[in-house]
Amino acid sequence: MLCRWGPDARAFAGGTDLVPHMRAQLVKPGLLVSLGGIAPEPPRLLLNGSVRIDALSRLADLERSDLLRSKVPMLVEAAHVVGSNQIRQMGTLGGNLCQETRCLYLDQKHDYQFVAPCYKRGGACCYPFPRNGQDTCWSVYMSDVAPALIALQASIEIMRESGTRHIRAEELFTGNGLKPLSLGESELVGAVTIPSKGSGFGWDFHKSTVRGGLEFGMAVVAVALRLAKDARTCAESRIVIGAVREGPVRLASAESSLASGELDEQHLAQVAVAASKEVNPLAHHGFSRRYLMDNIRVYLRRTLGRAVERARQEC
Amino acid sequence: MDVTTGGIATRTRSTSRLISLCVNSEWHEIAVKPRSTLVEVIRETIGLTGTKASCESGICGACTVLLNGRPVLACITLAVECDGKQIRTVEGLADGEKLTAIQEAFLDQGAIQCGFCTPGMLMSATALLRDNPTPTREEINKALEGNLCRCTGYNSIVDAVLQASGQGVKPVMK
Repeated sequence: MLCRWGPDARAFAGGTDLVPHMRAQLVKPGLLVSLGGIAPEPPRLLLNGSVRIDALSRLADLERSDLLRSKVPMLVEAAHVVGSNQIRQMGTLGGNLCQETRCLYLDQKHDYQFVAPCYKRGGACCYPFPRNGQDTCWSVYMSDVAPALIALQASIEIMRESGTRHIRAEELFTGNGLKPLSLGESELVGAVTIPSKGSGFGWDFHKSTVRGGLEFGMAVVAVALRLAKDARTCAESRIVIGAVREGPVRLASAESSLASGELDEQHLAQVAVAASKEVNPLAHHGFSRRYLMDNIRVYLRRTLGRAVERARQEC
Repeated sequence: MDVTTGGIATRTRSTSRLISLCVNSEWHEIAVKPRSTLVEVIRETIGLTGTKASCESGICGACTVLLNGRPVLACITLAVECDGKQIRTVEGLADGEKLTAIQEAFLDQGAIQCGFCTPGMLMSATALLRDNPTPTREEINKALEGNLCRCTGYNSIVDAVLQASGQGVKPVMK
């Protein structure tokens, strides 16, 4: 049905993102294709030690899964901080990944606003950043789960009419606020597979918020690393920042500088300073760029410290 | 032409569909528009006005009901998605005049000010106590984070959940 109707049709799972956007008249689909009748497969362990999670799994079920708690605790923690309990009971993993980007001038019922539509609504201005050109939208992608999946080197199974294709989690995001996902028409996220982690693996996750619950993050930090055999340096790492750009940002320079020295407090602090400059956050929802950089610097330093501590316990 | 069905804009006119809902153990056959929300059907078609419609965008939690046992937001749940499902609203908690422990505890703690958030709070708390009979204060805060009380009477609400779970909190209104 999605193929037949083209862009006029939208897949509908939990509805926690789509229905409020339909209310705000941001999307007006001609047809909703409900996936609600499809029971998700429970998360399962594959023969190679990877964990496969059905995209229709409710976030609350991910939190409760013993398998995920033992194998991918970072994903459980990321699912635990999404929205509210009710949102997690309704919302699915795939839906969380495919959520719309957010901006104060975008995700509001238009009656409340004093401005004409922005580029993303088919208008003629980017209100938070008026110098933006016609093809630029600096809305922010706010999934809490996506940075964790990228840090965990997850792959995403995409279902389409002619079968399935697999992409790395970071390839799902285009970095373009007008079309934040690389999904084609009538493509759906089918499942997520997370590879197994050996010894010396450490992780940490942090979502900065104002109230501590029921809100989108101001910045999300996900760190996964593996210690070298000497347990003093880092063999490989992934540092991903979410909720500050049009998609999650992987900090390649910070990752290589993390590997270049001994993992002591001073080195982690230096990496955090460099990373906060590398991420180049967009000012969003009242948080200035300067504030977000400071926030990322402080919380990245702390998450790196906890990730190293966990990795040393795993050695 | 844009038309509005149940507060949600659509670009095509839609015909009604017949669905079956089991609300508080009673089955209802109802014709609903495809884009009617569950809270509209519960309040306006079935007539159970205990469930409150407030923000209607999935933020405040006043419309929380149990759908097949899960606490969900009825204002962003489409009614057609609930065909054949079990729904429990605040009216379905008490057995006649006999209130449940959590309802009694809300009275005992004075956990009701204007009362608008109370039905949603009760449904979230009911689901919490079913899954976790002795929650800590932190777990209660987490479970009720999706229910906003604009009177800001959160402490007495959390005390009421602690009292209902038999954790030594004494009634203050008796």
